[in-house]
Amino acid sequence: MTRETVRSTWSGRRQGDLFLAGMFLTPALLLLFLFTYYPMSVAVWMSLYGGRRGPGPWVGLDNYWEALTSPDFWMALRVTVYYVGGVVPASLVLGFLIAYGLHRIGPGRALLRTCFFIPYITSTVAAAMVWRALFNPRFGVANQLLLWVGLPAQRWLLESRGVLHLLSGGWIPEDWGPSLALCCVILFDIWHLSGFMVVVFLAALQALPRELEEAARLDGAGSMTLAVRIVLPAVRPTLLFLAVTGVCKTLQAFNSIYTLTQGSAVLPETQSLIYYAYAQFYEFGYWGYGSAVSVMLTVLIIGLTFLQFRVLDEGRRAS
Amino acid sequence: MIRYLCPALLGIAMLLGSAGCGKGHGTFLPVDEHTAVFWDRQDTQSASLMRELVQAFNTQSGRMPIRWEHAGGYTEIFRKVSAGIQAGLLPAMAVSYESMTSEYIAAGAAVPLERWIHDPEIGLSEKDLSDFFPAALQSNRYPAHGNRMYSFPLAKSVLVMYCNREIMRCAGVERPPETWKAFLEACRTVRRVTGKPAFATVPDCSTFSGMVFSMGGEVYDGQRLQYDGPESLAMLELLETMVRDNLLFMASPGTFDDNIALVQGDAAFVLRSSSSRAYLLRMAGEHGTELLDIAPIPQKDPNRPATVLFGPNVTIFAVPELQQAVAWCFTRWFTEPEQAARWAVATGYIPVRRSTLAHPLVREAWAQWPPNRVPYDCMSFARPEPNVDGWQQVRALVERALAEVMSGTRTARDAAEWLQQEGTRALERAHRAGVGNGI
Amino acid sequence: MNITRSAYGFPLPLPIRLLRKNAGIFLLYVALMGGAWLFCWPFLWMLSTSLETFQEAMAPGLGIWPASWHWENYVETWRSTSFPRYFLNSFVVAGTVAVAVTVSAALAGYALVFLRFPGRRLAFLVALGAMMVPFEAVFIPNFVLIARLGWYNTFAALIVPWCANGFSIFLMRQAFLMIPADYYEAARLDGCGAVRFLFRVALPLVRPTLSVTAVLAFLGSYNALLWPLIVTADGSRRVVQVGLTVFTTESGVQLHLLMCAATIVMLPSVLLFLLAQRAVSETMLVSGVKG
Repeated sequence: MTRETVRSTWSGRRQGDLFLAGMFLTPALLLLFLFTYYPMSVAVWMSLYGGRRGPGPWVGLDNYWEALTSPDFWMALRVTVYYVGGVVPASLVLGFLIAYGLHRIGPGRALLRTCFFIPYITSTVAAAMVWRALFNPRFGVANQLLLWVGLPAQRWLLESRGVLHLLSGGWIPEDWGPSLALCCVILFDIWHLSGFMVVVFLAALQALPRELEEAARLDGAGSMTLAVRIVLPAVRPTLLFLAVTGVCKTLQAFNSIYTLTQGSAVLPETQSLIYYAYAQFYEFGYWGYGSAVSVMLTVLIIGLTFLQFRVLDEGRRAS
Repeated sequence: MIRYLCPALLGIAMLLGSAGCGKGHGTFLPVDEHTAVFWDRQDTQSASLMRELVQAFNTQSGRMPIRWEHAGGYTEIFRKVSAGIQAGLLPAMAVSYESMTSEYIAAGAAVPLERWIHDPEIGLSEKDLSDFFPAALQSNRYPAHGNRMYSFPLAKSVLVMYCNREIMRCAGVERPPETWKAFLEACRTVRRVTGKPAFATVPDCSTFSGMVFSMGGEVYDGQRLQYDGPESLAMLELLETMVRDNLLFMASPGTFDDNIALVQGDAAFVLRSSSSRAYLLRMAGEHGTELLDIAPIPQKDPNRPATVLFGPNVTIFAVPELQQAVAWCFTRWFTEPEQAARWAVATGYIPVRRSTLAHPLVREAWAQWPPNRVPYDCMSFARPEPNVDGWQQVRALVERALAEVMSGTRTARDAAEWLQQEGTRALERAHRAGVGNGI
Repeated sequence: MNITRSAYGFPLPLPIRLLRKNAGIFLLYVALMGGAWLFCWPFLWMLSTSLETFQEAMAPGLGIWPASWHWENYVETWRSTSFPRYFLNSFVVAGTVAVAVTVSAALAGYALVFLRFPGRRLAFLVALGAMMVPFEAVFIPNFVLIARLGWYNTFAALIVPWCANGFSIFLMRQAFLMIPADYYEAARLDGCGAVRFLFRVALPLVRPTLSVTAVLAFLGSYNALLWPLIVTADGSRRVVQVGLTVFTTESGVQLHLLMCAATIVMLPSVLLFLLAQRAVSETMLVSGVKG
């Protein structure tokens, strides 16, 4: 029996459950209200004022207009789009492939899974410091590898030119696509996030009924076809869950960018929207403007989440 | 029902919010009622000395004790104080740079120190005041706020040039170059001989200010930025030339890779604060004093030298008077020759009072290693950076421009113009936005 | 591909048969181990750097075998700042947060699934929406609230704001959705109240998810840096992540000590995950499978 039919049987008990539901939901919702929604409304309120380091004169929607006409804002938006577009799909694909591989093997699965999950559970700050050292232009491993293979050393996290430009030997203009520095950050976050995806996908794969795969295999499906045509659609709900969570996390990812680029505004090509809001708010003191950018970012997050539900959900409403 | 509840809740929230973010000028609650808390940024090495000094002060002061707290780096301290201003809770004093103090003044959190300086009991006499290096005191005046002193120097440092003697010897460069022309020549020679870049640097606003000063120029004349002036352009073109000829290695901003390169023999010259001395020597190991040399930064005219002055000041906050008094007493005590000499010798910072230079500890340090004397000599011609509203933003812009020039993605002329334009816009924006009136 | 016969149709001898069958799996193992190695490599680098001297740590190198073994680095790191105190604080805070989040999320998730009341859908959207508000954007108002409540520099400030989050509620809700509706109906028909059903039937069934919620909440609190930094004024409440900042000086980073500290800080997280291995796998299953 589905939930909907249960509902019709119990319509008479609606009021009775309300009290209990109130009791159960109050702690969580109260906390969410106090520490998430209330500050957000303060931020919305602040975005309507100007001034530095505090509410200044009322400016209405001027802050929003200023953001929309500021080239730095658009650059930050572009960076954010590249960033999310780079991290989430790649993590999903990598996560799925690794999980599928782990699903196929028997022994050693637990150990390998731990190895893939470890980047996710360690603090971003510590991990980012290690990666910074790896990308160090002088003694970092990345350049050592390049030199070993005979390619020229790169500036990595300082390189503001586009990665497409560099790979194509200068053919593609510099400002098309993400910068190399941003790609380094993206790589870091793929590494960080994939572990999480692997664990979730693996659990979903292990829950699939055996018959599904066996039937397909008997029909002569090769490994790849099996994976893509049969298994992937079967874990679509998991895909939705991970995509939504991934996008939410990535759009709000601050620590990784901050630690990798050492918090300086030197390279606007690595400044994501949240970092831009942070710099305007805390470093330069434009509270109203910073809040306006934060509000716009939140709207973006909500919009993208809604879109994902539309595209990826099978149509079963989450209720 | 819920449908009506939510907008109501939202409305209440906004009301609360509007009441929530205002805070009157005036006093703030102290973080600790019984001790005057000092938020500082000291690393593991100098922290123990600082604790000792604080202990010594508390024993002999007979007042409310000072409690020293390591509160993170400058950025973290800035964030904490900013948050504290909003919440109405502040320590008695904290280290800060001038640009940070400007922000604190705007929020009504910093107290002008004239009242304590001229206090009959615990203030400084005229004789004492004249003992201070003028530049050190001057940098703590804020023209935009009545030219009052809102912070007080604890110890200072200057921009100097560190050299790798071994590389210089190999390349046949006898002395650290004194002019920029000689510097360029020396770099070329080093490059020819070793095949590696000769100059390692990070894109940093203060370093660039020092370079502009040394050319006899200014970055801000009180009315207008001067980044499009001849001196600034000359320095940018120097950087451009060095990049073109592969003489320069750019280290990531916020890192200290240039120091590392110097010590590891991958660069011959580095422009850094005199406070880096201790770290460099430690990194170089046993032969550090033979390997390294300190010199004033190259000048346009060695007879009229200039360099940039930095170094932490302390800001005393608008907490109850008793705590302010203790904070002031500690600051005054700390800058006295006896303590200042100990601090200077151990950390590489420079004391702010001239009489300290005659102290035996200081003299001993000079005798032990002659280059130790160089930063002290530079104090007489070091100048601070501007103290204007919105300077934080200008700093970020300068660093961006420098990074672009150093990576070869922008020409010097272009960068100078861009910097002038954007910097002016940033200052105007800050000026226009004014100060928060509810805080 | 038929592994028992060659392309020409005659049967293959056993060794070749085994090789063919296992070649795929073998390659898979190689690929996976290579991948795991790549993933863990930065940590191995971190470990090896932590054992080197200052100079060696700064030297260029590809290898992860330490140039020399200086175990005393760990001693020096441990002594340079009050790690025991910070660890105690971190564990107290993160432990409490883990318990509180699990309780609040479990109750909320249960209510969202089994209880009937007007506005249920809205409540779920509220919980979901909370996931979308970026923390850095709102922490000043949060801090003002904390100060107003007089919680500055207290454990309450470190704990309370973290006691509920949208993600955990979402996770628990998915878990409860896996319990067949018949169970609940049958129970209600038998006269079992909602509360009893919760404790007798529902919670035991979702135990793996409870563990995972707890672990994730613990990690979230343990790894947080910005909030504890702002909300604590002195060492008595400082947490371990803030303690890491002590190794970055004004003129340079003591890389070897920093790596030691990072390793030390990382250990509890790894241990916790190893302990909760089974629970993690079962739960991700339950939450992810249904939409």
